[in-house]
Amino acid sequence: MIAVRNLNKTFHPGTPKAFEALRGIDLAVREGETVILKGVSGSGKSTLLSILSAMDKPTSGEVLVGGRPVNKLPDLHASHFRAHSIGFVFQHFNLLEELSVAENVMVPLIPLGLPYRQIERMCRQSMERANIAHKADQNVRELSGGEKQRCAIARALVNDPPLILCDEPTANLDRANTLAFIDLLKGMRERGKTIVVATHDPVFEEACLEARLIHMEEGRFVE
Amino acid sequence: MSSDILLSNEVLIYLLSEAILFAVAAIAAASAVPIVLRWDFSSFSPRQFALEKRAYLLISVIGFAFSVKFLLLPYFAYGIDRLALLIPGAMCAAGVIGANDFGYPLLAVKVAVAFLTGSWLIVSRLDLRAEDYPYLRGNTLLFLLIFALMGGELLLDWLYFSNLTTVKAVSCCSVSFGQQGGSNPLPFGLDTAKLLLLFGLIYLLAVLSALGRYAATAFVSNLLFLPTGYYALVYFFGTYVYELPTHKCPFCMLQGEYHYVGYLFWGALLAGSFFGMNAPVIGRLTGADSGGLYRLSLAFNTLFVVLCAAYVARYYVMNGVFL
Repeated sequence: MIAVRNLNKTFHPGTPKAFEALRGIDLAVREGETVILKGVSGSGKSTLLSILSAMDKPTSGEVLVGGRPVNKLPDLHASHFRAHSIGFVFQHFNLLEELSVAENVMVPLIPLGLPYRQIERMCRQSMERANIAHKADQNVRELSGGEKQRCAIARALVNDPPLILCDEPTANLDRANTLAFIDLLKGMRERGKTIVVATHDPVFEEACLEARLIHMEEGRFVE
Repeated sequence: MSSDILLSNEVLIYLLSEAILFAVAAIAAASAVPIVLRWDFSSFSPRQFALEKRAYLLISVIGFAFSVKFLLLPYFAYGIDRLALLIPGAMCAAGVIGANDFGYPLLAVKVAVAFLTGSWLIVSRLDLRAEDYPYLRGNTLLFLLIFALMGGELLLDWLYFSNLTTVKAVSCCSVSFGQQGGSNPLPFGLDTAKLLLLFGLIYLLAVLSALGRYAATAFVSNLLFLPTGYYALVYFFGTYVYELPTHKCPFCMLQGEYHYVGYLFWGALLAGSFFGMNAPVIGRLTGADSGGLYRLSLAFNTLFVVLCAAYVARYYVMNGVFL
């Protein structure tokens, strides 16, 4: 599903502020596998997820997702790839505050040009999977942290992407909501999704997620 | 050098816009050279990634500059038409463009640049639709050629406008395009009837080749349709626009007196020929489906012919005779 070879990312290259966020990363993730990237802030986890999701470009190296060199895609194709193949769950949820839960979940489907009835059906299914359907018409500003995260998950799943990327998804959640989130991850894994989670939350190690743990430190994988 | 000309609003705006676009193109050209020399999409090196980022920016910048440049072509026609008010003897843009030796070469370069920038924009669109910039290097080379032509065009712009004078009288369109001393202004000894027959046949050929997508025939017929359409409009259909058999001018119809219909006539003729010539070339070079370009060619060429015929029909309906 994912093949990364000799991936490097340097911010502000060639300047005194140059910072090597990723150094020679090699990674292979099988379809349906769950990988947890662990490491302190600044270890390169989020940068790696940004590159895997074609939101950022590396300085050098090869990234194949589903056989496509996503780090070489022009913007138009990168957007298409993200719209069809990636579900991204952000640390700060990144929900549109002016919209309701259902409207937020619908957003990724708008560029796909689907009939409205189909959008509604997909949105309803996704909200039910994320256990947030009962709040469909509520404005996201009125939700708790856990509910916001479930809304973000519903949004990430709505286009039924094969790859789910989560960047510090439980950093703003209490323990109960973190465990609920992990249950949702288990559900996704059972549905065959490939999942990569970047986190420094120890709960993931305790949660029997049957995931491969990878530790990151200063832009490298460490044993 | 006449400051009346150079400081007129139209010329100032036009020259400034051209200079800014040339400066933008010059910056883009400096960035384009490494792409021509070092582009290797199969590489995953830092240099290639930097070039890919640069390529996207470059395509956006050039695309913007060329789009604006397209708009400057009708503005140039409008500007020189307005200058007829300042130049003695000129009644429309015909007198102004022929006022010195640089006018017609400038017009020819402008049309050439417009055709090439249009081709660049089409190929660039195809390039961005693909995942691996398949035409980037070739299109960047085309951009560098256009950039060189833009340099020549800017020089001609300056030479042309700085050599226009409000003192010396120029010839008006009736002298430039009328029959002088009974001599025939049409090429190859054609008379009007043969010109119209040729015009109709070439249009028919262009239509059939667009419908059947016959590449070579489409290219040749559209290449011929451009000059034939020009002569047919100036020496026959234009007289119906002016409703005067002796008034033969490609420029007067750009004026408000004729509802600016000249922009539609010339725009349709240039666009039809442009798409007609580009459809087979781009189809052959890129292997992409150029059906859309053939359809555009068909639409614009037909619009041109319908407009021409409409003025003749209108005159006949209103007066019961032909000119």
